[in-house]
Amino acid sequence: MVRRLPSMVSAFTVLVFVFLYLPIVVVVINSVNADKFLVSWGGFTTKWYAKALNDERIRTDFITSAKVAVASSLISVAIAVAASLWARNARVWSRRALDATTYMRIVLPEVVLATALFIFIRRLHFQLGVTAIVIGHVVFNSAYATVVIQARLATLPISLEEAATDLGASPRRVFQRVTFPLLAPAILVAVLLTLSFSFDDVVSSLFLGGTNAETLPVLLLGLIRISVTPEVNAIAVGVMLITLITFACAAVVATVRGSIGVRSTPQAPDVEE
Amino acid sequence: MTEDPAPRASAAGSRRRSPWGRGSSRQLLALPTFGWTLLFFVAPLSILLLYSFGQMNLITFDVHFGWTLDNYRQLNQSLYVHTVVRSVLLSLGATLGCLVIGYPVAYTLSKQQGRIQTLLLIGVMIPFWTSFVVRTYAWVNLLQNGGPVENVLHAFHLSHGSLNVLYSPTAVWIGILYSYLPLMILPLFVSLERIDPGLTHAASDLGASGLRAFRRVTLPLSMPGVIAGCILVGVPATGEYVIPSILGGGKTLMYGNVIADQFFQVGDYPFGAALAMTMMAVVTLFLVVARSGLSRVEDVT
Repeated sequence: MVRRLPSMVSAFTVLVFVFLYLPIVVVVINSVNADKFLVSWGGFTTKWYAKALNDERIRTDFITSAKVAVASSLISVAIAVAASLWARNARVWSRRALDATTYMRIVLPEVVLATALFIFIRRLHFQLGVTAIVIGHVVFNSAYATVVIQARLATLPISLEEAATDLGASPRRVFQRVTFPLLAPAILVAVLLTLSFSFDDVVSSLFLGGTNAETLPVLLLGLIRISVTPEVNAIAVGVMLITLITFACAAVVATVRGSIGVRSTPQAPDVEE
Repeated sequence: MTEDPAPRASAAGSRRRSPWGRGSSRQLLALPTFGWTLLFFVAPLSILLLYSFGQMNLITFDVHFGWTLDNYRQLNQSLYVHTVVRSVLLSLGATLGCLVIGYPVAYTLSKQQGRIQTLLLIGVMIPFWTSFVVRTYAWVNLLQNGGPVENVLHAFHLSHGSLNVLYSPTAVWIGILYSYLPLMILPLFVSLERIDPGLTHAASDLGASGLRAFRRVTLPLSMPGVIAGCILVGVPATGEYVIPSILGGGKTLMYGNVIADQFFQVGDYPFGAALAMTMMAVVTLFLVVARSGLSRVEDVT
């Protein structure tokens, strides 16, 4: 009994992984399925890819999504790094204030945040569009980034930075030469996380884009609601490939940096080239 | 738990000579996060609250702030009450489902080591990198009558006839369960991974069966992860918009859809604001309950 339970549990785990990947398999299969109602297998085709690639609106929305994702990710991570460094030496109650606001921004249902920002922006006669979407995404993305970076910072001994200070390094130099390299892995994780959250977001983008800006997920939701549109599967596979390649590159960079960074940080730029 | 006190102690000890300069210049680091939160989180939510007590002239679209409770009284209509109840039930159901399915997976992951563990963890995360909208859309394909799920159930003689699940609350429940499962597995994994294996070994050495050791040692120690997972799944799921609009087929609406409709179709902002504020109240209630549960759990452990 004691021995058999874990094997049952791992068999169950395999089933759950099947469950997690089943829809993705369906998306990949349907992206090359010639049956335009996607009811059954209608033979292999690449026409949905061609259709997606030649669609002006899809291309524009992809670029809008990418812009929003990059901008919101960079702003979020910068805010998070500053906040985490501040919190490390802050008083207990101010650290609690940061934790509370971070927590609230993560758990508040997005619909509430999106409606609030929508009314706020309309009330101030500010324009809905790309900037508004970025503002909205930064609200929750900076919270996620703060969690990631604070977690890493908590494991780093402050003694290294103190040693640098004692040796006469200015605060700026300490950050450049000690803190930033130590934080780099967490910053990378935070960038990737916020990029993918932003790129995949529907609700905030829907409310805050107005008629001026449309992101890819908003377009996809619109296409799906109207009728069966097989090209959405091709778009999803394309985006998935781009994401996987980006992440793989990031992983390679992180490993290379990690393996050489341990031994000699100053030489890192030479080796990377 | 074992690694927590050390950084805190060193952080406290270093307050005297921080490498980050002293006084006001270091405080500037807090400006971006609190500024952004104040301007784009607290201020908008305050205006939302103001609006929820206001009134809109449906012809001129002007909003008057009159401190009226009409918007909240309007919530009493059966349509809205039903939607709120349905959202809460679906969210609770999906949270429970995620917990039951996610726990064994997180447990298995926590027992793996090194590279395999990393690969499995990435495996849990990868579905996140495929478009959420399109993944949800794939369930339309899987669940439709004559689709793969129906075929499998027939093959195992688990059901007969048409499945008739698509565009029903069950389909929305499956969709939420599927999408939020990784958010349950990850915090569970973190809390299970932290448990010292020596504790369960000690329990079995003292004569506890595997199941008893799990029930008396592992399960209570993993409660912080259980509660964190329930918050991460339950709260956003209550406000879910995309899944019900794809898998509910316009019939099984959730709270998020009703709020969005007020803004995009009806245009009654004050009533939409009242709906949103009510959702916030429901969610806050849920959080207070969860947090008190969490502090009780942490007191015990």
